[in-house]
Amino acid sequence: MGWAWLILLLATYPWLLGADLASDTLASSSLVFFISGTCLIAPCRRLKRWQAVLFAACLGFLFEARRPIPDGTLALCLVAIAIFLSSNRPLMRNTPGMLRVAAIVNVGACLIWFVASSYASPAAATDLAWHLSLQLLLAGIVGTIGLLPIALTQNAVMDRLNVPPAPDTP
Amino acid sequence: MDQNRQGARASYVALSVFVALWILAPSAVRRFNREAFVEFQAPALHLLGKSRDLATFWEKKSRSVEEMAAAGRDLARVNAALEIQINKYEDIRRENVRLREITHYNVPAEYMSVVARVATRDSSSWWQRIVIRKGRKDGIRPGAPVVFGNTVVGRVTAVHLTTSEVDLVTSPGFRCTAYLEGDEQNNIVLVNGVASNSLGTAKARVSVIPRDYSLLAGGQPTRVFTTGMGGVFPSRLILGYIDGGTYATQVGNFKESLLVPSRDLYNLQEVSVLVPLHQNPGEALIQGEDFQ
Amino acid sequence: MKESSDMHVLPSTPVDRLRLYGVFFFFFAGFLYVIGGLVYRQLIQSNDLKEQSDTQSRRVVLRPPARGRIYDRNGFPLVDNRARWSVKADLASLQKEFRAEYLRLLAAEKAREAVSIDREKLMEDARVRVLQGWLNKVWFVIDETNRNTKGRKSVAKLTPVTAPAERQINIDELRKHLRERRALPFTLVNDLAFPGTGQALTADDGTKSVARFIEQFPVEGPIRLDQDNVRTYPYGAMAAHVLGYVKDTDTLPDNVDDISEVRVESMQKLRYTGKTGAAGVELSYNHILSGRSGWELWSKTSSGYNQTRLKYSEPEQGSNVMLSLDYRIQQATESGLAKLKDPQGNLLPAAAVMIDIHTGEILALASQPSFDPNRLADRVSSKYYDEIEKSGGWLNRTTQGLYPPGSTFKVITATAGMRKKVVDWDEILDCGPFFRVGNRDYPEHEPVGYGEVNLDKMLAVSCNVWNYQIGLRTGIEALAAESRRFGLDAPLLQTVSDMETAGQPMTELPYAASRGLVVPDRAYKLRIGAGAWNDGDTANLSIGQGYLLTTPLHMACVAASIARGETRTVPSIIHSKERTGRHVGAEPIGLNADQLDALRGGMLRCVEEGTARVARIPGLPYAGKTGTSEYFKKGEKAHLAWMIGYAPADNPVVAFAVLVEGQTDTNTWGGKTAGPVAKEMLETWWPIAVKANQDENSKAPR
Repeated sequence: MGWAWLILLLATYPWLLGADLASDTLASSSLVFFISGTCLIAPCRRLKRWQAVLFAACLGFLFEARRPIPDGTLALCLVAIAIFLSSNRPLMRNTPGMLRVAAIVNVGACLIWFVASSYASPAAATDLAWHLSLQLLLAGIVGTIGLLPIALTQNAVMDRLNVPPAPDTP
Repeated sequence: MDQNRQGARASYVALSVFVALWILAPSAVRRFNREAFVEFQAPALHLLGKSRDLATFWEKKSRSVEEMAAAGRDLARVNAALEIQINKYEDIRRENVRLREITHYNVPAEYMSVVARVATRDSSSWWQRIVIRKGRKDGIRPGAPVVFGNTVVGRVTAVHLTTSEVDLVTSPGFRCTAYLEGDEQNNIVLVNGVASNSLGTAKARVSVIPRDYSLLAGGQPTRVFTTGMGGVFPSRLILGYIDGGTYATQVGNFKESLLVPSRDLYNLQEVSVLVPLHQNPGEALIQGEDFQ
Repeated sequence: MKESSDMHVLPSTPVDRLRLYGVFFFFFAGFLYVIGGLVYRQLIQSNDLKEQSDTQSRRVVLRPPARGRIYDRNGFPLVDNRARWSVKADLASLQKEFRAEYLRLLAAEKAREAVSIDREKLMEDARVRVLQGWLNKVWFVIDETNRNTKGRKSVAKLTPVTAPAERQINIDELRKHLRERRALPFTLVNDLAFPGTGQALTADDGTKSVARFIEQFPVEGPIRLDQDNVRTYPYGAMAAHVLGYVKDTDTLPDNVDDISEVRVESMQKLRYTGKTGAAGVELSYNHILSGRSGWELWSKTSSGYNQTRLKYSEPEQGSNVMLSLDYRIQQATESGLAKLKDPQGNLLPAAAVMIDIHTGEILALASQPSFDPNRLADRVSSKYYDEIEKSGGWLNRTTQGLYPPGSTFKVITATAGMRKKVVDWDEILDCGPFFRVGNRDYPEHEPVGYGEVNLDKMLAVSCNVWNYQIGLRTGIEALAAESRRFGLDAPLLQTVSDMETAGQPMTELPYAASRGLVVPDRAYKLRIGAGAWNDGDTANLSIGQGYLLTTPLHMACVAASIARGETRTVPSIIHSKERTGRHVGAEPIGLNADQLDALRGGMLRCVEEGTARVARIPGLPYAGKTGTSEYFKKGEKAHLAWMIGYAPADNPVVAFAVLVEGQTDTNTWGGKTAGPVAKEMLETWWPIAVKANQDENSKAPR
């Protein structure tokens, strides 16, 4: 189904919003729940590549719309990741594989976001080595923990849309 | 498998081409793209804010009648007191107008006040920023000051159709002039937000404090007021308090200190946007209007 | 991928794992890069500068310190610093804009098919155009006339008629800047509070202009807001000759040893423009006021711009100086002088000084005409400079002006006579309308003469003939010796400052007269080639005329010395609680009690009923002596009006001297012209002294 990616995006959006809300409550301590990387995993396993790419791009642009970073940086990086994941599906063959990839992708995307934002406002970029490492650690943990419910939601939606199951699901 | 690989290679090539196009594309395209995604999210943000209101409503609804009656009684008392004050202010206002007319004093910038609910705040505390549920169609313009009561919240930086982004006082993009309480010479000092790097509450910096200025005696917090001179903020609004602990670091030939915002900016529910009736030059610069 | 790919996938696993590690490595490398960069910057670069000190790629930037304040004796600031806000363009971040504009100009030039294209010139044009564009934006925001823009449309008004220079990029300045200080930001608006010197801005307007820029101009971008200090003189022209003014300097206090770990000598140094004293106390105490420069160590880019600030130290403000002036008396003195005008309404050149007779501290020191140091503190308009030059405002007449003291000198003639015992206090001399010396008649200023005159009456009416007689009896050598005893030939305000000059002699007020002072005697007249000394010269000297030249400050010191019964008073402009009241070189005046009483009584009579009676203050008896001496102004005869004295008469506390340079068309006459100024000074001083005395007494019992 051609519009599967859009419906999937709408289904994923509450999770993004939820992560933002959770970050809101932690705003005073500067910790952020970053899940955009995690949201890519399940769609990249089952959607066609072009659909996964569109999904990743929209996900990135949605994220960027509310944060002052150079336009397109995160979105295009997510697209690159989506292309890579959708052409290397065996990596996400089983649950441990998915978890591993989710953690790596989430940490990587979070890193890209931070670098991009420090490019946009250089003043903020100094003296944050340990904040950054803490943030990346959090992204890794959220990527692993958040994957299960997010992937469950996304799989359920894809099932309803008759997207063919991933060939190597155990 | 092979086919898939080849497809992947083609996709990468396509992506690189797209990236190149993206970089070369006029910024209007990118801005439009960004705007589009903002507007896409706007309903969700509105919905979120509304649902919060609804939650509050139900919370209120669950209170007992006795409680409400007590609250109503208290309010009536407060109302009566305020009523008297309003009358007093009305007299003062008339006197003020009369004096202005006599002295031909310039009328300060006039504002149209727009009350707005806070939708969300930017989840990153690097940019102290909140999103409010009023936008272009409510007449909000970039550069307008945002206040809550008599305290400054920040300034509008970007306006979308139904939402606007507000840079808080603690945001690095925020800059304004201020007077310090107890400074008889009314030296103007500079207030601007600092990026909060450590995992603490964000603060703003107060700089260009004269070297011989000393804090109020008795350790009471020193208030920082707007000057009303810059044509953006009305005068005598509270920006925050001087952080006593870090007071008096010498920077160059001046002193510097940290400003603690007076309201807890993280718990804001509602703010007022003071949209100036006349566009000021700064606003024209933000919008990039042409001038000779 | 096919349904049965389980089998196919497995063999390819090693490859995929490799890819996974590839991705993993990619992110890990990025992560390492960021962390490593931060660690490098935080730890290695800041702590271990010596290790990688490459003097070629670094430079030291010196920042001027704030100067110390100058207070009056009660702690009122006479000279202060105010924050100056300036707008600067960061040239390094404007590079792209310069380049783009240059390419645009080049294209236009090529389109015109110009024969030869001067690329240097084009680049310069591009820079000027870009900077001018930004300057226009700044003016657009700070110009008050843009405030009420009608409707939604704002129109920038550049009004090139009123202040063209301030709103244009000065090409010469830009060239100089690029040549010498490329790395420092280029100043667009020097002082936001006073953006155009052509505009008269009030303090309120100045603040508005600063605030408008701060609140309305975009924070991001190549245009920066910069703050530094500028000298301000809250009382304007008051005491300008004492305070002096400051001027620009490129030689900052060069004490940057703190970074000896980095070889500074071999490094390029860049200096912001600082300020240095140019006159008055600002100049003489410059070493105390100027403080210590701050420095910044920068790495630079290949094109010479500053890149990163590696290390820095804040400038240290100079120490404060407390003057002995009392600003209230100073104000009164100046307002008294300001009432002296010639028939055209121009201020008469004049000087006045008041000193504490015990400590020698100067309470007020004024010279007219004066100047406003505020207008010299920043960019000086050559017009104002010429104005001061023309009016003669640079000269401090109190310490630098050399004048014949006229009849005020008669107190010294009398003292010399009595000490030589050629006359006593009660001797009565017959004084006609003139006195013949040799073959010339020396006149009395009263046509009928004064008849029988003793010392007391002489001082009250300022009888000339008495002095001719006593002068001749005393003789030139004794008169000259007495003048020297009172220090008329000794430069004043010389001090071996205990503050930081390491025992070097210095003058408290620069250029105080030290050379031109003349106490004439036989040798002097021969030296200047005017022939042998004769009795006529002695007669002239006895009434303070002729070759004798001294300053108002010297005469005030003479009055103070007589008040104390001594010969010398060492004045000082610096307030110090440790003054002992002992004056270097002072000795008892050498008169007996009767003689001294008569001398002082005569001076009291001078004010009560004599030549200074216009300056009488009911309730405050004080001693005075007036003088009117002749001098030549542009070849024509004019008069100098003098008055010296001390107050109160019975228990002296202060001494004063007033001098007014009469013009050829003014009716200038000792007590009549100078007296009112003295009166105004004393009338202001008296209540202050009484109150200070009461405070002292009320404190004492506790």
